[in-house]
Amino acid sequence: MLRHALQRLILAIPVMFGVLLFGFLLMQVVPTDPATVRAGPTATPDIIAAIRADLGLDEPLYKQFGLYLWRLAQGDLGASIINNVPVSQELGGAIGPTLELMFASLFWSIPLGILLGTLAGYWRGSLIDRLIMAFSVAGVSVPVFFLGLVLIWFVGFKWQLLPFTGRGGPLWTWDGIQAIILPALTLGGVFVGPVARMTRTAVLDVLSADHVRTARAKGLTERVVVVRHALRNALVPVVTLIGLQIGFLLGGAVVTETVFSWPGIGRLAVSAILSTDFPMAQGTIIVLSVGFIVINLVVDVLYAALDPRIRSA
Amino acid sequence: MSATTDEPIAPARPGVLARLLREPAAAVSLLLVVLLIGAAVFAPVLAPTDPYDNDLSLAMQPPGSEGLPLGADAQGRNMVTRVLFGLRVSLLMGFAAVVLGGGLGALLGFLAAFYHRWLDGPIMRLMDMLLSFPAILVGLAIAAVFGPGIFSVVLALSVATVPLMARIVRGSAMVVMRLDYIEAARATGMTDARLIWRHLAPNCLSAIFVFATLRFGQVILLGSALSFLGLGAQPPVPELGAMASEGRNFLFFAPHITVVPCVVIFIIVLAFNVLGDALRDALDPRLRV
Repeated sequence: MLRHALQRLILAIPVMFGVLLFGFLLMQVVPTDPATVRAGPTATPDIIAAIRADLGLDEPLYKQFGLYLWRLAQGDLGASIINNVPVSQELGGAIGPTLELMFASLFWSIPLGILLGTLAGYWRGSLIDRLIMAFSVAGVSVPVFFLGLVLIWFVGFKWQLLPFTGRGGPLWTWDGIQAIILPALTLGGVFVGPVARMTRTAVLDVLSADHVRTARAKGLTERVVVVRHALRNALVPVVTLIGLQIGFLLGGAVVTETVFSWPGIGRLAVSAILSTDFPMAQGTIIVLSVGFIVINLVVDVLYAALDPRIRSA
Repeated sequence: MSATTDEPIAPARPGVLARLLREPAAAVSLLLVVLLIGAAVFAPVLAPTDPYDNDLSLAMQPPGSEGLPLGADAQGRNMVTRVLFGLRVSLLMGFAAVVLGGGLGALLGFLAAFYHRWLDGPIMRLMDMLLSFPAILVGLAIAAVFGPGIFSVVLALSVATVPLMARIVRGSAMVVMRLDYIEAARATGMTDARLIWRHLAPNCLSAIFVFATLRFGQVILLGSALSFLGLGAQPPVPELGAMASEGRNFLFFAPHITVVPCVVIFIIVLAFNVLGDALRDALDPRLRV
């Protein structure tokens, strides 16, 4: 178990290094010179030169990379070109809302997806199955922003039921809860379909297994057979597959945040790129990538913990 | 977006189309795909106006107004024209990404399977690395380097497609490699390149085709999302995601400006997803559940 975790961790190191190298090179290819920007429009050439020396920009590239890693280790990601706010400070404020949104979306979409998938798998080939699967395909085909805009239009604007711009405050306040409902419905909405589909496949696999037949033969009620014997075993692959879909969820989060002006990392990344605020763009991309790698790692290890067969593979 | 399968898909047998058309949903989606592609190809002929022609007196006319079945956008451009040209741009972007990324991915997959002993490890590890980044991140990073635009989106979608196609093709090619006739062909003294092209590739074609169809829908969805965020096609270029984004500002007065392109994206992606699933079932009944 521990060995498996370590193996995965070692495999993640080159990927992590690649991300950091990419982030560094990103700043090398962009057409703006950080020293000139920092010095401001009225600076004389020698002031710019002094800032260049101060930032280490006249050092050879490999030394700059070392310096960059050193600063990164201290949490220094540079400052925004637009308002000179430290990137780490902006990021620190944006991570919370993004995680909040993702959890709120998973909170309702995973149980619903598992329920629908189980129903579809159990009544395989029936009208219910066909309806649920049709709904699932439609769910993976709908653009996230379409779902968001429809909710804004009806629930937010026409019926005036819920707010649809920004975060209302912490989640333990009424305003906070109200404000997260529509974004969480949007992001979770595109996730129900894939979860239902994966659960259905897993349930179908398990329902034909010997231990389920044995459970039936013992005369257990159908409910116990499905919930205790079938679903419990079906959930192992579903958990991993959900983990593998985190990238998909992240993509949805970027769009959802933009549609609802939700102050998360995705929106920060998009606005930084659109306003050519390179240090901010670099910081958001690094944090998103590293976060994604870490989530994958955790899912991987979790899977091995849930299913002993994986460890040796 | 369904989980990618590594299972090899059996070579095509005659009667695939017949088996495909037996399923009503598949027949309808095939018809839709043909119609959508036809509309995109013949957009310049079908469109009643020029896609950049605007008439501010018609701005935000609702659907069903005289001469404007889908209404007009905020600049008073005919939405029918915009959608037809939008289809053209969006489908072309998706097509370019699937052909470029899928082509490179398939090549890498063939090489990994054919030179299994010394290329499989390096190629597939590199693919795993690429796979560890979700497409949206690839899109953000590429837009940060090259700036927003159609080029960035196509590049990002291609890059995100390469590792997926490589895995599918490798899986399928590994199965074919074990078959006797490859050994027989090799014994006739064929060059490797010819062997791959003439004997290995044709037998992986159905796997490639099914994946490309499913991927096309996903790529359209991703591409429109990137354009919606402002990272892809820039206004006034008629691209469905960008059109939806432009219309967002008028959501409360003229919802059709954003709803129409959204619905069209939905229909494209749905049609390709249903068709892809049906193709998989038709080409390999073993995978049907």
